[in-house]
Amino acid sequence: MEYLLFAILILSASSIGIPLLHFSKERERAPAYLLMVALALAIAMVVGNTISPQPVSYFGNLLSSDSLGGVFAIVTLFVTLFVTAASLTLMSTSNSPSYYALLSFAALGMLLLSYSADFLMLFVAWELMSLPTYVLAGFRKNSAQSNEASVKYAILGALSSAIILYAISLTYGVTGTTQILEAMKSLAAQPFNPIASVAILLFIVGFGFKMSIVPFHMWAPDAYEGAPTPISTLLAAATKKAGFVAAIRVLLVASTLYAITQNPLFTIANVFAILSLLTMTLGNLAALTQKSITRLLAYSSIAQAGYILIGFVIYSYAQGNPAYDQQATLGMTGALFHVINHAIMKGAAFLAAGLVILKLGSGDIRAFSGLAKRMPKTAFTLAISLLALAGVPPLSGFWSKLLLFMSVLNSPYSWLAVAGVVNSAVSMGYYGWVIKRMYMDDPDSYATIKEPTSMIIIFAVLIALIVLIGIFPGYLISFLQNAVPAIAGH
Amino acid sequence: MSFVLTALTFLPFIGALIAYASGWLTKSQTSAQSTTTALSGQENLQSGGARSIETIAGSGENERRPTAYYVALVFTLVTFLISLYSFWYVFSNTPAPGQYALTESYTWVSTHAFGLNYLVGIDGLSSPLLLLSTLLSFLAVFGSRNMVSRHQTAYYSLLLFLEGSMIGVFVSLNLIAFYIFWELALIPVFFLIGIWGGDRKKYAALKFIIYTFGGSIIMLLGFLSLYLGVTPQSFDIPDLAGKIPVGLQYLPLLATFIGFGVKMPLFPFHDWQPDAYQQSPAPVGVMLAGVLPKFAGYGFIRITVELFPQAAHQYAWAFIIIGIVSMFYGAFVAILSKDLKRMFAYTSINHMGFVVFGTFATVLTGNLLGVEGAILQMFASGFAVASLFMLSGYIEAQSGTTQISLLKGIRQWMPITATLLVVASCAAMGLPPFVSFLAEVFVILGGIAASYYAAITILVPVITGAYFLWMIKRTVLTAGDETKTVRDMPKVDAGVFAIYIIPLIVATIFSFLILSPSVPVAQWITHLVQGVH
Repeated sequence: MEYLLFAILILSASSIGIPLLHFSKERERAPAYLLMVALALAIAMVVGNTISPQPVSYFGNLLSSDSLGGVFAIVTLFVTLFVTAASLTLMSTSNSPSYYALLSFAALGMLLLSYSADFLMLFVAWELMSLPTYVLAGFRKNSAQSNEASVKYAILGALSSAIILYAISLTYGVTGTTQILEAMKSLAAQPFNPIASVAILLFIVGFGFKMSIVPFHMWAPDAYEGAPTPISTLLAAATKKAGFVAAIRVLLVASTLYAITQNPLFTIANVFAILSLLTMTLGNLAALTQKSITRLLAYSSIAQAGYILIGFVIYSYAQGNPAYDQQATLGMTGALFHVINHAIMKGAAFLAAGLVILKLGSGDIRAFSGLAKRMPKTAFTLAISLLALAGVPPLSGFWSKLLLFMSVLNSPYSWLAVAGVVNSAVSMGYYGWVIKRMYMDDPDSYATIKEPTSMIIIFAVLIALIVLIGIFPGYLISFLQNAVPAIAGH
Repeated sequence: MSFVLTALTFLPFIGALIAYASGWLTKSQTSAQSTTTALSGQENLQSGGARSIETIAGSGENERRPTAYYVALVFTLVTFLISLYSFWYVFSNTPAPGQYALTESYTWVSTHAFGLNYLVGIDGLSSPLLLLSTLLSFLAVFGSRNMVSRHQTAYYSLLLFLEGSMIGVFVSLNLIAFYIFWELALIPVFFLIGIWGGDRKKYAALKFIIYTFGGSIIMLLGFLSLYLGVTPQSFDIPDLAGKIPVGLQYLPLLATFIGFGVKMPLFPFHDWQPDAYQQSPAPVGVMLAGVLPKFAGYGFIRITVELFPQAAHQYAWAFIIIGIVSMFYGAFVAILSKDLKRMFAYTSINHMGFVVFGTFATVLTGNLLGVEGAILQMFASGFAVASLFMLSGYIEAQSGTTQISLLKGIRQWMPITATLLVVASCAAMGLPPFVSFLAEVFVILGGIAASYYAAITILVPVITGAYFLWMIKRTVLTAGDETKTVRDMPKVDAGVFAIYIIPLIVATIFSFLILSPSVPVAQWITHLVQGVH
C-alpha cells in the first residue's frame, strides 16, 4: 500500500478542506473534529509505512520513507493531534476554521520534512511548517504580547529560512546535486573547502534557530510566552523536533568535515559539543530565575535541546573514529528517544500549564500555589511531567538521559556527561520549586476549579505514556536503534 | 527460580495503589466529614508545631480511621513476614561468598548496543536490612495513626511507596535497577516532609531533594561509565565484581563516594540531613533515619567495595579518616544540639561513621571483624535511631515541642515516655544488652587491626554516652513544672514500642543470626581486595 502517499493526501485534503467549513453551521467545533480524524488517519498511515516500509525513494527521490522519518512523523503528528484536542478547550476563537487549517498545514509540513531526502523538498516543507506557525503564534489578535511574539518569531524565522536557503545554494554549488545524502557525502569526501565549511556553519545556524539552541534561542521564551498555549506546545514539542530531523539528515552525514579551518579543534563534533554545553547550561540557569510558567518551560525546553545535542556530538565524532560505533549508536538512540520523550513530557507540561492559565488567568508561578488542592489532576500531570523532565526514574525522561550520558562516557567528550548531570541537578531546583508551590504552599482560595473532561483524557494518555515508556523502555529503544543507520542512508 | 523477592518488592507498590484507590471509593461516603478534616487540617497547618495536641486528644477510639491505614497495616505486615522468611532462608542456606540467595533474573532491555536485566537476590548483607526496613515500615504505619490527621489516604500510600523503593534498593543486583529504586525513594520522602512536616517543612523538603538528587545522579554517572568498560558488557553486580579494570575504578569510586556520602550522610555532605530529619513527621523520621542512611551503608559495601576493590583498597585510609571524622563530628555537634530531633539526627551521622570506618578497615587489612561490625551496626543503629525518632514524635505530639530545655520533668507528666526514652537512649549509646554495643566493639576492634591510632575511636561511644546522659539529666531527671497537664503516650503504643527494642536485644543474644550469614560477605570482600596482590 502507498501508506505515505495516503498520509500526505489526507493532510493536504484536510488543509484545503477545513477552511470551507466557514460556510457551515458547525464552524466552531467541526474543524477540530475533522482535523483530529485526519491526523489520526495520517498517524495510522505513517505507522503502517514504518511497519512495512515502502521503497526507499518517493516522488522522484524527494522523499525517503525510512524509519528515521517515521519516528519524527509519528512524534510531530501525535503532538499536533493533542494540540488540536486541547485547543477545543484552550482556544475559543471565532475563527476556528482558519486556526485548524493552519494547524493542518503545519502538520503537513512537519510530515514532509520528516521524510524529505532532497534539499528542495526540505526547504518547501520547512516553510510549509513555519509560515502557519507565525500566524498561529499571533492568533490572539487583541493581545499585544501575542502580536509581539508573532512578529519576533516571524522575523527570526524568516532569517533562519534565508540562512538555510543560502547554505543549500552553497552546497549545490559545490556538489551539483540537491539530493541531501549524495550532496552531503560528496561534501564530506572532499579535501578541505572553505565554501563547504561555510555551508555547514550556515546549516547549523539555520537549523539552530528552530531547535532553539543557544545562542540562537532568544526568540523562544518570548514566542512561547506570548503565543496561545496550545501553539507554544506545538512550537516546543513539534516544530522544534522537525528542526532536529532536518539537522540529523543534513549535518550528521558530513560530520567528518572541519567546521572552519583544518585545525583539529574545529571539527563539527566539537562545535556541537560547545553548543550542547552552552544550551543546557544557559537554559537551566535562565530557567532558575523565571517567574512565569511558560517562560520557565521555554527555558527548560532549551536546556533539553542541549541534552539531545549530546547524541549529535558522539555520532559526529564516531564518523571519523569507527572505534566509537557502539557509543554513536547509543548516543543517537538516546537523542531520538529524548526527542520522543521531550515531545510527550513538554506537551503534557505545556497543556497542563495552559489549562491553569485559562482557569486562573495568570501564568505567574505564584498563582500555582496550592494548585494541588484546587486542580488536583492538572497539578498531578504537571508534577509527573516535570519530574520526568528532570530525569527521575522510572519515568521516560530517565532512560533517554541515561543513554545520552552513557554514550559520551569513555570518550573525549565525557565532560559533557558531567555537565549534563550537573545540569540535571540544577534543573531539579526549578522543577522541584514548581512542585513545591503546587503541593506544599497554601492557595489564595480553596474553591475547587472544574477540570474539563477532554483535558483530563489528554492528560491521562500522556501520563500513561510517560510511565509506561519509563517502565518498559525496551521496545522503543530497540526500535529507535534500528532507525539510527538510516541517518547514513543504510 | 523463586518469586519471593519480586513479590516482596512490588507488594508495597500494589498496596500503595490500593490504599490510594480506597480513598476514592470511600470518598463519596465521607465527603462531608472530610471537608471538616480538611478545614481543621488547614488550621493545624497554620498553627504549625502545635498541630498534634488536639489531634491526639480528639482522636478517641470511636473516630473512624481511613481504609488506607488498614491497607497499609496489612501490606506492611505481610511484607514483614515475607522478609522474615527470606531472612531465615538466607540464614539457613547462607550463600557462598559472591553468591546470592533467592535470585531472579528477567530480561528488561535487550538490543545489540544496550542490554539490561532485572536481577534480584539477597545475601547476609541485605537480609538484615530487609528485615529492618519492613519492620520499621510496619511500625511507622502504626505510629502514624494518631500523629497524622491530614490527607491520610495520600500519606499512607506514599509510605507504602517508600517501603517498596527501600526493599527494591536492598534486593536489586543490577546497578540501574538499584539506581531506579534509590531515586524512587526520593519522591515520597519529598512529599512526606513537604506536606506533613514541621514549621520549616518546605525548605527542608526542597533542600533534601536537591542535595540527594544531585548526589545520586553523580553516582549514576559512575555506574554508566562501567558498562562499556567491561566484557561482557553488563550492569549486573555479580558480573561486574572483580572484572572491572583497575584504571576504570577510580572515577566511579569517587562518584559513588559522593552519592553514598550525601545519602548517608558523611561529614562534608551532611548539611541537608538535620533539617530533613527535624522537619519530617515522626513516623516518616522513623523511615528516614532508620532506613535511608542504610542505603548508603549498603551501597558502600555492595558497590564501592565489591566493584572497585583495588581502588577502594588504595584509598581505604581516606574513607577511614572520613568515617572517623563523621563519628566525632556527629557526636560533638549532638552535644550542642538544643533540639531532640536534631540531636538524634547527628547521632545517626555518628553511627553511620562507624559503618564506613568498619567497612574500610576490613578493606585495608583483611580483618573480617570490621565489615561484620558494620553490618551489625546498620541493623542496630536502624532500630535505635528509629525508636528515638518515634519517641520524639510522641513527645512533640503531647507537649508541642522537642526543645530539650522545654522538656524539664517529663518524668512527672509522661512517665511511660520518659522510661522508654531512657531505654532507647541506652540502645543508641551502645550499652551492653543492646546489639549496638557488640557492633561498636567489632568495628573498633577491626579498626585497631588497621592502625593502633584508630583506637582513638573508643572515645566516640564515650562522648555519645555522655551527651545522651546529659540530655536525660536535663529532661527526665530534672524536676519540671508540676502544674503542667500533658497526657502520656497511649498504652497500646507503649506496648508496640517494645518491637523496636526486642530486635536489639535478640540480636545480641543470638548474634549468630546476623553474624554467620555476614561472614561470606566479609570473605568475599577480602577475596576481591586480595585478588590482585
